[in-house]
Amino acid sequence: MEFNIDDLPVLFPYPRIYPGSYMVDLKKTLDATGNAVLEMPSGTGKTITLLALIVAYQQYYPSHRKLIYCSRTMSEIEKALVELKALMKFRADRLGYEEEFRGLGLTSRKNLCLHPSVKREKSGNVVDARCRSLTAGFVKEKKEKGEDVEVCVYHDNLDLLEPHNLIPNGIWTLDGLLRYGEQHKQCPYFTARRMMQYCNVIIYSYHYLLDPKIAERVSKDLSQDCIIVFDEAHNIDNVCIESLSTDITEDSLRKATRGAQNLENKINEMRESDQQKLQDEYEKLVEGLRGADEGRQEDSFMANPTLPDDLLKEAVPGNIRKAEHFVTFLRRFIEYLKTRMKVRQVISETPPSFLAHLKEYTFIEKKPLRFCAERLTSLVRTLELTNIEDYQPLQEVATFATLVATYEKGFLLILEPYESDTAEVPNPVLHFTCLDAAIAIKPVFDRFSSVIITSGTISPLEMYPKMLDFQTVVQESYAITLARRSFLPIVVTRGSDQAPISTSFQVRNEPSVVRNYGSLLTEFAKITPDGMVVFFPSYLYMESIISMWQGMGILDEVWKYKLILVETPDAQETSLALETYRTACCNGRGAVLLCVARGKVSEGIDFDHQYGRTVLCIGVPFQYTESRILKARLEFLRETYRIRENDFLSFDAMRHAAQCLGRVLRGKDDYGLMVLADRRFQKKRAQLPRWINQALLDTDVNLSTDMAVSSARRFLKTMAQPFLAKDQEGISTWSMEDLRHHQEKMDDERIKELQAQRERELNQPVVARAANAAGGDGRESDYEMDDFDEAELMALDTNI
Amino acid sequence: MSRKAPPGARGAGASTSNGTTSSAPALPTISTEDMCPVCKTIRYLNKDMEFLINPECYHSMCSNCVNRLFNDGPNQCPYAGCNRTLRRKGFRSAFFGDLAVEREVDIRRRVAAVFNQAEDDFETLRDYNNYLQMVEDLTFDLVSGGEAQRRTAEATLGRWEAEHKAEIERNRKAGREADEQSRRRLAAERDAARQRRVEALQEAEEEKRERVRNREAELDNLALGDAGAGAGGAQRVQLKRRGQAAANRAVEAAVHTAVAAAADVGRLSIRGLKEKKKAPAPEGPYDPFAGLDFVPGRYKLHTGLGHPGIDKYKDDPAHITGGYSFDEYTARAMFEAFAGLGVFIEDEMEAGIGLSAGEVATMSAGIAAVGDRMELD
Repeated sequence: MEFNIDDLPVLFPYPRIYPGSYMVDLKKTLDATGNAVLEMPSGTGKTITLLALIVAYQQYYPSHRKLIYCSRTMSEIEKALVELKALMKFRADRLGYEEEFRGLGLTSRKNLCLHPSVKREKSGNVVDARCRSLTAGFVKEKKEKGEDVEVCVYHDNLDLLEPHNLIPNGIWTLDGLLRYGEQHKQCPYFTARRMMQYCNVIIYSYHYLLDPKIAERVSKDLSQDCIIVFDEAHNIDNVCIESLSTDITEDSLRKATRGAQNLENKINEMRESDQQKLQDEYEKLVEGLRGADEGRQEDSFMANPTLPDDLLKEAVPGNIRKAEHFVTFLRRFIEYLKTRMKVRQVISETPPSFLAHLKEYTFIEKKPLRFCAERLTSLVRTLELTNIEDYQPLQEVATFATLVATYEKGFLLILEPYESDTAEVPNPVLHFTCLDAAIAIKPVFDRFSSVIITSGTISPLEMYPKMLDFQTVVQESYAITLARRSFLPIVVTRGSDQAPISTSFQVRNEPSVVRNYGSLLTEFAKITPDGMVVFFPSYLYMESIISMWQGMGILDEVWKYKLILVETPDAQETSLALETYRTACCNGRGAVLLCVARGKVSEGIDFDHQYGRTVLCIGVPFQYTESRILKARLEFLRETYRIRENDFLSFDAMRHAAQCLGRVLRGKDDYGLMVLADRRFQKKRAQLPRWINQALLDTDVNLSTDMAVSSARRFLKTMAQPFLAKDQEGISTWSMEDLRHHQEKMDDERIKELQAQRERELNQPVVARAANAAGGDGRESDYEMDDFDEAELMALDTNI
Repeated sequence: MSRKAPPGARGAGASTSNGTTSSAPALPTISTEDMCPVCKTIRYLNKDMEFLINPECYHSMCSNCVNRLFNDGPNQCPYAGCNRTLRRKGFRSAFFGDLAVEREVDIRRRVAAVFNQAEDDFETLRDYNNYLQMVEDLTFDLVSGGEAQRRTAEATLGRWEAEHKAEIERNRKAGREADEQSRRRLAAERDAARQRRVEALQEAEEEKRERVRNREAELDNLALGDAGAGAGGAQRVQLKRRGQAAANRAVEAAVHTAVAAAADVGRLSIRGLKEKKKAPAPEGPYDPFAGLDFVPGRYKLHTGLGHPGIDKYKDDPAHITGGYSFDEYTARAMFEAFAGLGVFIEDEMEAGIGLSAGEVATMSAGIAAVGDRMELD
């Protein structure tokens, strides 16, 4: 369908659209070149709405702002690409011609490799390393010199093509890209990388923009007026924090020592065979020429981990200029870390105090430390190392060194000698943790004028601008409009025996609570058709409660109605469980999947239709509050952003709970039960996303198990009635007609509002003037009054 | 003797292949961490065995051996082929696991005491970098050079020390001062952080108590059956709470401005406080100069400071004495008014103790990470 928003013609590829002002708000944001936080319920066509509007915006206005759409997982990226492809096809049909338009998705080498032997590797790191060893600049040079080295045909073919036209216009899904690459014998990964600046739409993962190590290489050339969209962004603060944090273990230090040793050997080798190269590098560093060729090195194996604003733009300090000096420097630093790791008590330090201590014992200054990562990159390039994966731990140490010397505020070093409080065998880990999510995302907000953060569950909205430290133009949570009540959220606070149920630490292992949860599970297993998903706050608690249920015979009872499957931390086991679960749901046996609210299942996997008719959230999924990193972060949030500990914890728990609940409802014709089973949910109700909260009736808030069951039973009965797509029309979907009606109505309202405003404006000066006149003050302020007003004024004056 | 690492070993992972470059790989299973190379005692037999080294030759041995060998005065190092004479006084425990690094750091300490120029002492950054490299070369020679190189390096070191004695002393002093300052700064930050933390905890505690008290009061009122009093009580409680909030706000604002003058106050948000939005003032006609009247004029030198406050004393006989000139007074006043213009506060801030909110917050986060348990619902 085709419609106008203000003056912008939008082509929407489906005959029906979900009602709401998402597009209007989006356009407002783009017009104002500002940022927005938008929450739209899952399964209502968020992606296509977004794409349709932005593509229309790009094509209509002359500025042609580029769209960068960031999502979380491979499957989401692929889905968005398919939607975009459909949209562009529709546009071409409608307009009668193909637009100059290019859209690409980018993912890791592992997913895009075509080289016959490299693509068979399992691990992403190995693929990256092997690819580099075939495609690096010096390999090509060697080849040209006539040496016998292995190269990648797919990569080298790219050089034969025009650099700005590696791939024709159109939308290329990842599959399509692979197929095109196979046909034309060209590397899809490098095609995508090199074509990024010539694209109208780029779809990739958050990390390409947020992680400075990758962003510097991949996203450097993007222009200022790009439109950035972070979809599924409810976890964006954690992504930011992870991108600037590193962990160092004893094992990685040991490997780093070995790496340093290898490096030294290589240097000695090179000094004997090719003195000139080392000398060249040295000269370059003396001159402070930050590798002129670095710009085109798309394959450099390491990058500076600091954000572009914090890079030091000067020559490398003299004491690490020479390669051998740098290696001893690294070795000293590693030995120092090893010594620090021997301490058997928990230590938390700020970077300045760490640096002071470091200087006292090893005479390592702050400045060379800042250059550590960069110097290592340069050295690795000079030595032409190909077996990069051996140096990974060394790179980690260098990254850590650079970060700790660059950032003073918002970071913390925590050394934990034991894995848990009760552990006997020490396993020290040095966490260098970023406390402030705003640091990593700041360059994005600084650089790009429009950043849109959106997700199905991103409530409470005001938390995000606060945590990430930015201003919004629009901040909106949209309600859901449904033709029938297709999901039923209920809060169960008591068991059948009226005893409150909760997973708080004091009561979580009491048999009565466990039994009540068990009977809740059994009851819902009885009434739920097909699939049912149960979320626990943690693996530990899940294990303990399952073993207790086993003892009580509850599992045997559930077994009668449903197959029981359990998520484990192991990815392969979990995927097997999921597969079995899906089979059981499809063939009518039905199954219960027990999983964890922060696990893999809760984030990326959809339980649509028969795969999930009930989601049962046992307990509020709080984070593990005894974690030192979390404690430090809470403290920091309170001190800098004035966010209270409990507020943040409860916000975090509720966004995970909402994420879990959102798993079952993935579309308009879907239905499902959402059961929140904890006493504490009653108070936290307001923190749920608006669309869930709206459907949560007051009568369903404080239920005991038996009441919840009867309410659920009633709901399932209504859901069992036949439901035609026609019934939805005009309510949960709008056809062209409905849309026109709506627009007319809106226009009418606008006109009325304007009229009212006009009248108000007319009246205001009158009153003011009257007051002035009464005071005998004859000031001249009526420059915009017309005669009519004058006349009225006179009348008023005379009245007085 | 068992070939496995004894159970009392320090760290299970550390027992096998921890970087030991000093000893030959003759004993693959028991590293020098766990066995004294002199008396062959293993940690299993002596749980608190401690290894000492002497910076003369960096050969490590256990403290028992040191006592046994060197209690009666200087003696030769018990390592075969090492003929150095060691004294008991020189023994200490090593900071680093790798003794080569220990030795290097000792040499660096010596070098750093002599070559202690700072970046500001050089004209350009490049000169400073060259200097750094020169020092590093020298250190490198001392650490891993041959006999000849070492000797030349020693000679250079000695010569430099003799030539730049005064400078070295001055830099050392400056360095110590800087260290002292940064230490004070850290301590101040830590104190501030701790105090803020304590305050926050107290506040939370107070709030909790308040809630309990209010609840009790309400219940009491209800128990008395005095519905009116109950309502009144609730109202009073509300008012009281609001008053409390206002007081808190004042305290908070004070703390905030004291610690972070730069942070904008707009971000300070108090829970439950509604932001009042003012209606925008009606706009007048657009004035590009914002009311400023531009009449170009030239700079004129005034003869004296014309100010109504002092002009009347100019001719007042009560204020005129011999040897006292009014112009001098005004000149001095002018000088005092503009005397601060040559001072750059930012530069001084860098050197002096100025606390920023971010640093204090990071510091207190550090305290929180290892601090006591937090109260959570």
